Amino acid sequence: MSEPITIIGSETIVSGNLEGDEDLTIEGRVEGSISLSKTLTVEVGGVVRADINVRNAVISGVLVGNVEAQESVHITEQGRVVGDISAPRVILVDGSSFKGNIDMGDFNIDQDTSERRETKSRKPATPSVRVRPVVKEEVEEAVEEESEEPAAEEQVDEDTSVTRVRRAIPVRTTGASPKAPPVRPVMVAKGEKKQPPAPRVRAIGKKTKAKKKKG
Amino acid sequence: MANTVIGSSIVIDGEISGDEDLVIQGTVKGRVSLKQNVYVEESGVVEADVETNNIEIAGQVTGNIVASDKVEITSGGRTVGDIKAPRILIADGAIFKGNVDMDV
Repeated sequence: MSEPITIIGSETIVSGNLEGDEDLTIEGRVEGSISLSKTLTVEVGGVVRADINVRNAVISGVLVGNVEAQESVHITEQGRVVGDISAPRVILVDGSSFKGNIDMGDFNIDQDTSERRETKSRKPATPSVRVRPVVKEEVEEAVEEESEEPAAEEQVDEDTSVTRVRRAIPVRTTGASPKAPPVRPVMVAKGEKKQPPAPRVRAIGKKTKAKKKKG
Repeated sequence: MANTVIGSSIVIDGEISGDEDLVIQGTVKGRVSLKQNVYVEESGVVEADVETNNIEIAGQVTGNIVASDKVEITSGGRTVGDIKAPRILIADGAIFKGNVDMDV
């Protein structure tokens, strides 16, 4: 009694109007009309020849008539339905047979397609994470007045350009950053003056020594 | 186990026929024609002519009853109509108004 369930047994025939506020399972035969505020289940072997107004319908048997459901109509593999279905959710399983019209109510096709486009644009959003650093470097490249063509090429080329930029920057910054913080004007001025000539002298000296040895 | 149950919130307006037991907890209007047993439970309301083998009434039945075996109105059962059956039981506390025909 706690869970009211109505069953029309396999050997029972109901002809007339059937309405109620509980689940109804039909294993037998019902002709007329059915109006429920809950779920109608037509089991295998059940035969319903009626117009139906329910919340949910699960059809595993034979149903001839129009179905109007507030939530869903589910036609299982054994289900055979002839009639019109009006429900926001209609499920036709592989193996089921159905003849009639289906009306899932008013819906905007443009909204659905736009939602699908959003989902598509979200998927490539993951590679855009790789693109984000490239954008910064493209700005740096633009500052350096490099052409836009390498940026338009494949990512491999972009990555190489990135590495070039990253390598180029540290050389400059490492040279300036350790000396810059304490006293900028004096140290930098000395460093810049001392460093450039020193390698030239060494290089010249090595070359000259090598030439001298060879010579 | 073949069984038909009409739940407490179900209203059937029409005819029920078949060859198995029928349990009525809801409302049935029209006609009931069975070859087996009918149980009208306390919450059950039948406004129909009933033709069956056995019927046990704990709820309310308004209509003529023809049973091939037995009609039993239990305590708390209320029946208005004519009853025709070889065996008729009316328990203490049952309410009945109508004609009884035991085919004597």
